[in-house]
Amino acid sequence: MMSLLEIAKAMDVTSLSTSLKSITWLVPLVQSVHILMVGVVFVSILMISLRVLGRVRMDEPLSRTWRRFAPSLWGGVAVMVVSGVLLVFSEPVRELMTLSFRLKMVLLVICVVSAVVFGRRMRGAASVTAVELPLSAAMRAAAVVTLVLWIAIIFLGRAIAYDDSVWGSWSPAILQRGGSL
Amino acid sequence: MNTPPSFIHAMETSAIGEWMRSNLLAMPLVNAAHVLCITLVFGTILVVDMRLLGLFDRSRSVMKTSDEMLHLTWGAFIGAAVTGVMFFTANATTYWFNTAFRFKMLVIVLAGVNMAIFQFITYRSVVNWDRNSPSPRAAKVAAALSILIWFSVVVLGRLIGFTKGYDVEVPASIDFDFGTP
Repeated sequence: MMSLLEIAKAMDVTSLSTSLKSITWLVPLVQSVHILMVGVVFVSILMISLRVLGRVRMDEPLSRTWRRFAPSLWGGVAVMVVSGVLLVFSEPVRELMTLSFRLKMVLLVICVVSAVVFGRRMRGAASVTAVELPLSAAMRAAAVVTLVLWIAIIFLGRAIAYDDSVWGSWSPAILQRGGSL
Repeated sequence: MNTPPSFIHAMETSAIGEWMRSNLLAMPLVNAAHVLCITLVFGTILVVDMRLLGLFDRSRSVMKTSDEMLHLTWGAFIGAAVTGVMFFTANATTYWFNTAFRFKMLVIVLAGVNMAIFQFITYRSVVNWDRNSPSPRAAKVAAALSILIWFSVVVLGRLIGFTKGYDVEVPASIDFDFGTP
């Protein structure tokens, strides 16, 4: 079986990777699109969470807030993932060989799965018009946890560039350079 | 290189500048907080812009949509400014002479001008188009400009990193130094 480092090195020599690297302005542009899409996704999640917590959009039912922000959430996730994949291909070793990137991917999967589950519940609710779901303490707690996870995702995303400063000897980037900071 | 104004030198040699340069975690944390604030600024402004363009929330009150976002946007903007200044002090001279940085500051001023024109002229008649009617052309133009401006701010911000090389390694082939001294 290939190690993650071998996979990264194989990605590094793909034509996608070499073309991304050959156009100088492309990487900062894709990074910018990625950051803006993180903004779209994060604020969509923020609005839904704040509605669950009763802080915004109390003039409309939760299912309606969900319907307003679900398209920007999923559209944002799609562009975010595509631009993210391009960024990984532009520097596969630098991305994959960091603890920050790996943790970020784990948290991202948890957040996306939980949004899918939440969306299913909302679709069920939308069919019963005018019936508002009771917002349980568990749901409010889930809203807070979701926000904390997304903030962690954003911090980890930026920490990829500083992996060894942030994680010290836990960073795989250090091992790769022979164990020196 | 030219000599920067004395306040730039004072900022660079300040205790904050020294702390930013010497503490291993200062850069990654301040950097991540800066990105988090920028995603919030862009995302919350986009919610209002989308309402003005009539693409989302068409039947919802413009005033309500805008008032809800106001605190979040300003809070995030202040956060971005504070973390931005902390960043700046770490390498003030380099930033001062960086063309991408100067353009970024200029474009942020343009964002303010666009917002002021909207707020003090166009928005005065908001009661006439608050709900269930399309926004006037001036409001739509302001919304479109706002999206374009904030996109540019993020692109220029990313270019600073690429031209300076403090948070990413600049490959030798890349020359983003648009003729700065």
